[in-house]
Amino acid sequence: MNITLHNITKKYGDKTVLSIDQLEFKTGTVTGIIGPNGSGKSTLMRIISGIDKEYTGCLNIDGHEINQEICKNMTLVFQKPYLINTDVYNNIAYPLKIRGVSKLEMNRKIENMIELLQLKEIIRQSARTLSGGEMQRVALARAIVFEPRLLLLDEPTSNIDPKTMQLMESAIKYINKCCNTTVVLVTHNIRQLRRVCTEAVFMQEGKVVERDLVKDVLNRLDEDFIGDFLEKELPI
Amino acid sequence: MDYIIQGFAEAFKLLFSFDQEIYRIILLTLYVTIMSTFIATIIGVPLGIFIGIKNFRFKRTLIRFLYTFMSIPPVIAGLFVYLVLARRGPLGQLELLFTPTAMIIAQVFLVAPIIMGITYNNTRDKGQNIKQVAYTLGADKRQALMLLLFELKADIFAAIVSGFGRAISEVGAVMLVGGNIKGHTRVMTTSIAMLQSMGDYSQAIAIGLVLLVLSFIINSILYHIQRVV
Repeated sequence: MNITLHNITKKYGDKTVLSIDQLEFKTGTVTGIIGPNGSGKSTLMRIISGIDKEYTGCLNIDGHEINQEICKNMTLVFQKPYLINTDVYNNIAYPLKIRGVSKLEMNRKIENMIELLQLKEIIRQSARTLSGGEMQRVALARAIVFEPRLLLLDEPTSNIDPKTMQLMESAIKYINKCCNTTVVLVTHNIRQLRRVCTEAVFMQEGKVVERDLVKDVLNRLDEDFIGDFLEKELPI
Repeated sequence: MDYIIQGFAEAFKLLFSFDQEIYRIILLTLYVTIMSTFIATIIGVPLGIFIGIKNFRFKRTLIRFLYTFMSIPPVIAGLFVYLVLARRGPLGQLELLFTPTAMIIAQVFLVAPIIMGITYNNTRDKGQNIKQVAYTLGADKRQALMLLLFELKADIFAAIVSGFGRAISEVGAVMLVGGNIKGHTRVMTTSIAMLQSMGDYSQAIAIGLVLLVLSFIINSILYHIQRVV
């Protein structure tokens, strides 16, 4: 999916929390969004995902305004995922069930996710009894099981151990490669940005300050305020 | 102390003698309570969810009214229904006063706000998250609503149990609109109040025990359903 944003403005009362003149995420790219807390990263994700409709400006996905058909082909993984009060299997099956996928196909896809994110041990466990890392893995499995064309990730790997992070990054790369899924990843982790993303967007005070290839954004580390921010806030 | 023990003994005797009058009272109580809880659920759950997930003008005012109605004194609800259903009232021609239907209407007034209020609170707390997850996974409005109901089922059952508790224990409103007419509108709570005032403690205790047991059985069933679904 190709996403273009023109003159997007989001306000809370008089306060402008997001103001983007022009931004594009091309089909099949993996873009990392970095920036200090309150810079509008999560707001941007909510707008692109269609759950926040109270903004002005123009958001086009594959040349169209957001509609139900487009929503069916994209997903957003939250920093604190909400899992349905059932077992892990049924959580992952949910997006397939609402799309009317056959039982056989559903089992095949879920098996694939179990292998990809190593969920075999917990597949029949209640989602409410999972640890934070397990919940994140299940949330990611549920998000990519229906092979979305746009995957939005809002700090999905914050506060999880390196092994789980590695598993999740592999899954993100896998879905990007096998389905040409456009991935937009909000992260505070520079190493992750390097490992997973090809492009980076730096945001501050609701604006896009830098937009380039990851290595080019990172090369400017010492040059200006991006460097200041990265040195202070990101574990390099 | 003796009269209490004697009351309990006589109560058991009365229960196992299968006194027709007592069983008529029990059946009417069950009918009025279950019907009013059922109707209040039909009204309260959808409205509670609607208020919980939608933003509209005067929502805060509506919630203030809702909270007030959650704790409305039963005699006031009873008086209101009485005035509406009385012969000179706006619905007087329906001749519903002093009938089980009037008792059900009065109880719906008391129970629906409780079910609606509890459902609203839970929907407000969890509804946004559930809706967002549903939409981000591609659900349409109907599917999102189904997920919301699935996720809130335990809370909705808790609301229904609370409503049922209010309905089965209610005296004031049903006394006003039902009139406590023997064999017609006499329910367990109004019987206990009347028997106590007459000094007939054995019957009062017998009916009180049945009320407790019934309440325990029905709440156990609801609890079981809550755990299973």
